[in-house]
Amino acid sequence: MKQSPASSPSVSRRGLLAASAALLAASPSGRLAFAADAPVSGGTLRVAFTADNTTLVSIDPFQVYWLEHRVVLRNVAESLTDQNPDTGEIIPWLAKSWDISEDGLDYTFVLRDDVTFSNGTRLDAEAVRIALDSNKAFVKTVPATFGRTYLAGYDHADVINPHTIRIVLSEPNAGFLQATSTTNLAILAPESYRRTEKERSLGALIGSGPFALQSYTPEVGIKLVRRNDYAWPSAAARNRGRAYLDAVEVRYVTEESVRNGLFLQGEIDILWPRNPFAEVDLELFRSRGATIFSRSLPGPTLNLYPNVSEGRILNDPKVRAALQKAIDRETFAKGVFSADFPAVQGPYDVTTPYFRSQAAKLVYDPDGAKRLLDEAGWKMGPGGWRTKDGKRLTLIRPLQGAETPGDVLIQDQLRQVGIELKLQILVAGEFQTFVSSGRYDLHSSYMTRADPVVLQTILDPRYTNNSALSVNAYPPATLKQVEALFDKGLQTHSPRGRAEAYGALQDLLIDDNVAFPIYERLWQAAASPRVKGFQWTSEGFALFNDIWLAKS
Amino acid sequence: MARYIIGRIVQALTVLWGAYTITYAILYLLPGDPLSIMLTASGVEMDTLSADQIAKARHYYGLDQGTMEQYFHLLGRLLTGDFGTSLSSGRPVAAMLAERLPQTLMLAGTAVALSIVFGFAFAWLGAWLRWKPLRAVLRRLPAIGISIPVYWTGLLFIQIFAFSLGWFPSAGNTGWQSLVLPAVTLAIPSAAIYAQILLRGFDDVWAEPFIATARAKGLRRGQIQLRHVLRNASLPILTLVGLQVGHTVSGAVLVETVFTRVGVGRLVQEAVLRQDIPVVLAVVTISAAAFVAVNLVVDLLYPLLDPRIAGLATAG
Repeated sequence: MKQSPASSPSVSRRGLLAASAALLAASPSGRLAFAADAPVSGGTLRVAFTADNTTLVSIDPFQVYWLEHRVVLRNVAESLTDQNPDTGEIIPWLAKSWDISEDGLDYTFVLRDDVTFSNGTRLDAEAVRIALDSNKAFVKTVPATFGRTYLAGYDHADVINPHTIRIVLSEPNAGFLQATSTTNLAILAPESYRRTEKERSLGALIGSGPFALQSYTPEVGIKLVRRNDYAWPSAAARNRGRAYLDAVEVRYVTEESVRNGLFLQGEIDILWPRNPFAEVDLELFRSRGATIFSRSLPGPTLNLYPNVSEGRILNDPKVRAALQKAIDRETFAKGVFSADFPAVQGPYDVTTPYFRSQAAKLVYDPDGAKRLLDEAGWKMGPGGWRTKDGKRLTLIRPLQGAETPGDVLIQDQLRQVGIELKLQILVAGEFQTFVSSGRYDLHSSYMTRADPVVLQTILDPRYTNNSALSVNAYPPATLKQVEALFDKGLQTHSPRGRAEAYGALQDLLIDDNVAFPIYERLWQAAASPRVKGFQWTSEGFALFNDIWLAKS
Repeated sequence: MARYIIGRIVQALTVLWGAYTITYAILYLLPGDPLSIMLTASGVEMDTLSADQIAKARHYYGLDQGTMEQYFHLLGRLLTGDFGTSLSSGRPVAAMLAERLPQTLMLAGTAVALSIVFGFAFAWLGAWLRWKPLRAVLRRLPAIGISIPVYWTGLLFIQIFAFSLGWFPSAGNTGWQSLVLPAVTLAIPSAAIYAQILLRGFDDVWAEPFIATARAKGLRRGQIQLRHVLRNASLPILTLVGLQVGHTVSGAVLVETVFTRVGVGRLVQEAVLRQDIPVVLAVVTISAAAFVAVNLVVDLLYPLLDPRIAGLATAG
C-alpha cells in the first residue's frame, strides 16, 4: 500500500506561480511592477475570535480541542501529513512518503531532511519518536486528555535511520493516518517536551511551522511572528516559501456587536466568530467589500441523539420516526442562520470523508409525523399536546447556560405535531449528573475531525468520551450493527472498504432514527478586502503563510 | 478612640473570615463535582473512566482531599499569603491576580471618582437652577440612570463614541483612552444614586431655618449652596461611597465583558462557572477586604467630619 506524494500538475503549477510571486515581492527594490494579484510581503494580520477556552486553559496541541486554538496551532506546529481539503486524501507534509503494513499495524514514514524547529534544532525521526512517546506518557498521567483518541492504538516507534521512523500500533486503527495530519498529533521540538505540561499549555511550544509563537495571554490573545527560514509547507499550501505576513495577532472579543464593529472599522482583518453570521450582518459585511468564507466543519453535524432506554418515550421506534419527520431543516437553516445556509443532509457534515447524503430521508413531513404518532397511541389532547394514558408527550432536552433561537425553533416545530419539547436549563455541574443518570430524552454533542472515526468518540459506547449518550442511544439490535460497522471502518484500510462501512453506518443511524440531524456545522469567517489568499484546511482551519495583505 | 478602632478592626476581620467561609460553603454546595467539570472541559466525560483513572485525575487536579481538610488547607495557606493554584490553568492564583487586579482597580477607582464628580455636579445643577420645567426634568434623570442596565449603556457608548465618533477605542486595556468609556459606564448608576440622595439633602437643607439667616446676611444663592447646603447635605454620600465600592465589583463583571477588558470581574465570573474554587475564594477574599477596608476608613472619617459622631463614639 505504498502511497507516494500527490503531485498533480495543478498543484505544482500553483506552487510555481506562488514561488515566482514570492520572489517578485521579496525583490529588494520593491519598486518592481507586479500584477494586481501578485502577493506582497509585510504587514500584520489581525484576527478576532469570539472567546478563549477558559475551562481548559491550554494551547498544548495534544490537549486542545478548542477550534480557535487549532486554527492558530496549525501555523505553529506541523504534522507528519496533511489532508487535501477537497478530497480528504492524506498528502505529504513533514513526511515525504509513508508505507502501511498489510496488517495495518506498522506505519513507516520517510521524513523530509530540511526541516528545523524554530529553536534551530533539526526535525528528525528521534524528534518524532519523542513527541509520540511524550504524548503516550501524558495520557497515562491524565487519562482524560483529548488527544488520546487520536493516539489510540499507539504502542511504540522505532527510529530506523535519522529520517525514517516506524510507528507500531498494538491494534488496527484505520483513522491513525488521518490522525497524523491533525494539530493534535503535531510534532513539537524535544525541548518542548522537557518543559512541564503546564508550561506547554501556556505557550512553551516550539514547532516547525511558518510562524513561531511569540506570546499567549489567556483570554486576551496570541501573537505569532514569521520564521524567515521556512521552506517546507504542506502539499496543500500555495505559498511554497516563507510567509508573506510579518506577524499574526489574534484577539478574543466576546461581545458580538463590538466584534462586528471593530471589523467594520477596519481594526480587524479576519472576523472569525464561533457561530455563523446572521443574514443582516452578512449583508452589511458584503456591502463593505468583505469576503465571506464558509466551510462545513468535518465530523458529525449538530445531531440530537435520543435516549431509547426502557420506559422512555423515544423507546418507541414510531415516535422516533415521527420526530425525524417533524423537523423542518430547510426552514431551520434559513430562519436561524441565513438565506444560503445549507440544510443538513445527514449525521455527518458534507466535508467529512465518506459522507453519504441522507437528504431524501430527512424530508419535512408533518402529516406523516402526525399519522405515526396516532398509530403509536399518542392522541391529540387538549391544548394541542398529544397524550397517551393520561401522560403528555413531553421530551426533555438539557441545555447549559441558555437556549438559542435554534433550540426554540425546534421546540416550535415539534409543537406543530403535538410534541412538547422541554428545554431544561442547567449549570455545568448539574448538567453532567443529569445526563449521566439518563434523565434526558434528547441530547447533543459534537467534535471536529476530518475522519468518520470521530463519531466513535461520541456514539460508540466502547470508545466514547460521553458514555451515557452512546449507551442510551440505541435499541440492542441497532447497537450490534453499529458496533460492527464501526469495527469494519476501523479495521479496513482500503478507501472502498471504509466508504462502504461508513456509508452503511450513516444509512443505519437515519433508518433506525437514532440520530436527528438539525443543522450543518458551518464555520464562517469574514475577511476585509485587503486579505488575499485565504484557504481552508481540511479540518476548517487556515494556512496563514498563504495569506497576504494587499496594499490599500 | 483606640477601643473604637480596635473594635472596628476585629469586626472587619470577622466579616472577612465570614465571607471566605460562606463562599467556600456555597462553592462546595453547588451541584456537580469540580472534577467532572474539569474532565468535561478536557473533552472526556467522567463516566467513561475507570475508578483508577478517576482517582488519578482527582489527584492530578488536587481534588483528592476531604471538604474540611481542603478548607483548612486553603485557609492556612491564605493566612501565609498563598492563594494556591487555579484548578483549570494550573497557574498560581497570585500571578493571575497580579495581572488583572491593577486593571480592575484602575477601572473601579476611576469609576468611583467619576461617580462622585458626576453625582455632585448633577445635584448642584438640579438644586441651583430655578427654571421649574428644567428642574423637574433634571430631578427625574437619576431614576433613569439607576434603572438603565450597565450592559446596555456600555453598548450604546461603544456605538456612539467608538464606532460613530471614533473618539475612544471600543475594546482592550491599552492606554487611558481605553479606560474612559468603561469607567463612565460603570460610574453612571452610582452617580445617579449620589445625585438622587444629594438633591434630596439639598432640598432639606434649603428648608432649614439657618438658610433664612444666611440670606438675611446678604449671601448670594450660589454662596449659600456652597458654604451651608453642600457641607450639610454631603455627609450621607460618604456612607454610600463605601457601599458602592461593592457594586463596582459586580459592575466590573459586565463592563469588562462588554469592553473586552481583562480584569478580575471576568475572571471571577468564569471561575464560578467552572467551580475553580481557589480563584473564586481569592477574588472574594480580596474584594471583601477592599470593601471592609473602605468602610473602615469611612467609619473612621465620620468622627472627623461630624463632631457629633465623635461624641457618640467616646460616650459609647
